[in-house]
Formats: sequence, C-alpha cells, structure tokens
Amino acid sequence: MKKQLRLGSGSGFWGDALDPAVELLEHGSLDYLSMDYLAELTMALLQRQRLKDPSLGYIPDLTTHMRELLPLARKSGTRIICNGGGANPRAGAEKVRDLARELGLKGMRIAVVEGDDMLPQLDALLQSGHDLTNIDTGEQDLAALRNRIVSANVYTDSSGIVSALEQGADVVIAGRVSDNALYVGPVMHEFGWTYSDADTDRIAAAITVGHVVECAAATTGGMSSRFAEMPSMGRVGFPIVEFEPDGSATITKLPGTGGRVDEFTVKEHLVYEIGDPSRYLMPDGVANFCKVKIDDQGNDRVRLTEMAGTGRPDLLKMVVGYEDGWIGEGMMFFPWPYALERAEKARQTLGERFERLGLKASAIQFDLVGVNMLHGPASPMPDYDPSEIGLRVAVHTESKAEAEKIRRACAQLWIMGPGGTSFGTPMKPRPVYGVWSTLIPRSYISQTTEILEA
Amino acid sequence: MTLLRDIAYVRSGDKGDVVSVGVIARHPKDYPALLRSLTATAVKDLFGSWITGDVEIYPMDNIDSVVVIMRGALGGGATRTLRLDQTGKAMGNGLLRLPVIAE
Repeated sequence: MKKQLRLGSGSGFWGDALDPAVELLEHGSLDYLSMDYLAELTMALLQRQRLKDPSLGYIPDLTTHMRELLPLARKSGTRIICNGGGANPRAGAEKVRDLARELGLKGMRIAVVEGDDMLPQLDALLQSGHDLTNIDTGEQDLAALRNRIVSANVYTDSSGIVSALEQGADVVIAGRVSDNALYVGPVMHEFGWTYSDADTDRIAAAITVGHVVECAAATTGGMSSRFAEMPSMGRVGFPIVEFEPDGSATITKLPGTGGRVDEFTVKEHLVYEIGDPSRYLMPDGVANFCKVKIDDQGNDRVRLTEMAGTGRPDLLKMVVGYEDGWIGEGMMFFPWPYALERAEKARQTLGERFERLGLKASAIQFDLVGVNMLHGPASPMPDYDPSEIGLRVAVHTESKAEAEKIRRACAQLWIMGPGGTSFGTPMKPRPVYGVWSTLIPRSYISQTTEILEA
Repeated sequence: MTLLRDIAYVRSGDKGDVVSVGVIARHPKDYPALLRSLTATAVKDLFGSWITGDVEIYPMDNIDSVVVIMRGALGGGATRTLRLDQTGKAMGNGLLRLPVIAE
C-alpha cells in the first residue's frame, strides 16, 4: 500500500481553465488527476445534444482537454478520472480512445463508467408507484411532466470508478457520478477500503477532502472574501491533496503558482453549498464536517485531521431535467442627472409596451442594476443622484415567440425611452430547464465498467 | 454600528431553490457574536420577499463558522430563476449587512 496518495484537482466546472491542470501533470508528481465538469443543469443540456446527434452528449471540451493532458499523464504515470462523459460516456470514451491512438499512446486503457442514466427506465419507475416527490419543493406529480422530460440521472457512488481502476484504467470517463466520487474512488481503490464499518470514518474523510478540492481554484484563493490579498489569481494553482491511509490529508498547491492555501481558503470552501454540515450526504457515505480539525502549517499547506462520518445512504439522488418554457431578458442604462427617475420612467414605459404587445408572461422581474439586482429587498435605495443606473427586466414565458417580445419591447425604448437611454447588444431568449430532484433506492442502480484500449 | 461585514468572511451558493451561505468568523473571539447575530428571523427580515421558505442556522464550533440555509430563496432555483445571480453567489455578502448584536 502507498504511504501517501497524491491527487490533483484539474477542473471545477465545464469551462474551467486548462493551464493549471497542465501544470499539475508537469510538476505535481500526481498519482491521480480528477476533473469535474458537471453541474445540475449540465445533464439536461448534454442530453438534448445527444437527442439531436447520438454521437454527442459528452462534454465538448473533453477531447481538446485530453489532447493536452494524455501525453503528460502517460509521462508522469498519472491516472485521469473525470465525469466528462456527461450524457454519453461511451461516445466520449470512444473519442478519447481514438485520440490516444492518434497521439501514439499505444495500449492506453480508457474506461467507460455507465449506469447513471435513468431515462430508459423512467417509465417503469413512474409506473412502479415509487415515491418520486420533489425533495426541494414537495411537489409530487412527476408523471404530469413526462412529455417535457429530457434527462434523468442518478448521482452514483465511486464503485464504477474503483472497478475501472482495478481493471487497470489509465483514464476513466464517467457520466453523472457524484463530483465527490472522482476523489473518493481513487482513495478507496488504492487503500483497499470497503463500505464496512471499519472504513466508514476514512471514507468520510475522503468525502470531506473531495468536497474541499472539487471546485479547483475555489480552495486556492478563488471566490474569496479576501480577494484583495490573493496573489496572481490569473495564474492560480489548482489544489493538490496528499492523502494518508489513516484518513488524514494535507491540501497544498504547486510552488510558484498564484493564489494561496491557508486556514481560511479551506474553511471558505468547506462551508460552500452544503446543507446540515453534520450530515453531508454523498452516495459513498455521510461526512460530519463539524468534526474536522483544520491546521494551517504555513507555506500553502493545510492539514485536515479527525474527519468522521457514518455509512452510505440507501437512497440516491436522481435529478430529472425538463423543458420549462423560455426566459426573455433585457438591460438598459441611464445617465446622471436623474438616473433613477429615468429608470423608473423606462420601467413604466416597458410595462405599457408589454401590454400593447399582448405579452403572455408567467412571471416578470425588474431590477435596478447598481442598486438592488444582487441583494433584492436587502438593498438600501441611494440617497444621492448616482452617475448611472441600469434597468434589467426578465420574463418567463411558455413559448419562444412570447419571449421574443421582451427583446422587441426593450429595443423600442431606443426612441420611446427617456433621454440618454443606452443599450448594449439585445439579448436572445433562452430556453429554461426545470430540475426535479428526488430520491430512489440504491437497488435501482447498476453501474457498469468497460475498458477500451488504444 | 458594527456589521457582520467587519467580523466575518462569507461564501454562498445554491442547491435547487435553496441558497446555502457559510459565514466564517475572522477571529475565534467573534464566533459568539456571529451566533448571536445570525438568527432565522434576522435573515428572513433582511431578504423579505426573496425568501419564501424557512431559514435554518447550523453552528460549526470546530471552525468558528455558521451555515445559513435559506429555503425558497432563489426564485425557483438556478435554472428557472429570473434573477441575474442565478446561483446565489452574491446573496451571502447580503447577509454581511446584518448588525453585530452585542452581548
């Protein structure tokens, strides 16, 4: 067994920078590089691409990223684990295998991990009478949305990744495994842990550490309240984890890179996007973030110890994406003097235009940009005449044609609006996807792993 | 008047229609003040109509931090909301407007 495992975080979302991942492979002496590409909405977008063209549906950046990373990974002996397969891991893995052949990386083993896509089983699941209540809203009737559903994916655990690594995978291409499993998988594989009581706290430690690093730069100085103190963020280093078999870990980054790892960069991300911190629920287990001890050792090194938790849940989260109409949006800006008065007049005029155009909207929101767009009712109104103020309007409609009316009405304010009204480029309507999160028994899921050899 | 801005760091994000905010005391000595000042009522009053559900407060004694869960606070969730800040990234900073409640 290795005395210490070195894992890097190579991507925090679809659209993240590639150069920090390249640096990690060149200088990080990593055993594993884990890359997260998926957010809640992403699966619906990718599934729609797949419906249009069955050879698509994986993250479009996957091949451009792997073209850079595969040769470096072979050289450094690092295994890459990602969920860039999105809604079509098989097609993504085949592309990566072809790419490895083209790059002359003979024998490279690309694993496909499947089993998270529940769309083929959805009708059976709906008919089974199983409780599919929306855990966010309490709504119950998922079947009523059936003809608008485009995706249904379960956040799966790391067993598919572990199986791929056992079969000697150099690269793992998964779909909607939990972001967290991209880190838990290699740790469980290397240290031979199982879902037994003896390993529960150690798995919880891997879950905790995975949470801390899975958004990449977010734990090395990105998104920080102390933004002004963070050096060279445009050249930020992504995090490295040194994981030990006893379930303790150190978070660090490459010397000479931008950003910082300290007590507060780690705390800031430990508390990010969680619910009850004593029960951070993941498919591999439940971590208790109220136990971990954070020790800042200086020089961009923070040690995490005393991590604990409980066993894995019987129910897994399934996210169903469905088409939910359109949003039309517009923004215009007004100059001093009387900027706020101009914005208020424009808001009245837009209301009148919506009426004249016969707009059918299910919801309309106005914001004053520079005043209350970000904090809403918590924002005080300015008690002076600001240099400039923006007016933003966003409208939810059933059809694209209705949403187009927002663009038209906003454009009409070019001349109907108050003097000085300024626009950028008018915004196109965008389709909306609703997200229905529910829980289904683990027994419905069977992950499969297959190796494609270059 | 001292505000939470003066004693805390913050980070926020979304899960469905929930905005989750982590508020971190800059110094351990200020953690009790953080606990006193971040009440469900204070948070609901601050954001008014922007929070339609319950607010829950979870202390984290191990890291001098408080997690604030605001339900029904994202206008229907990131994918459907009409707000520009679709994932509630800026809402955490809004909490820093709250006054620090003295002992």
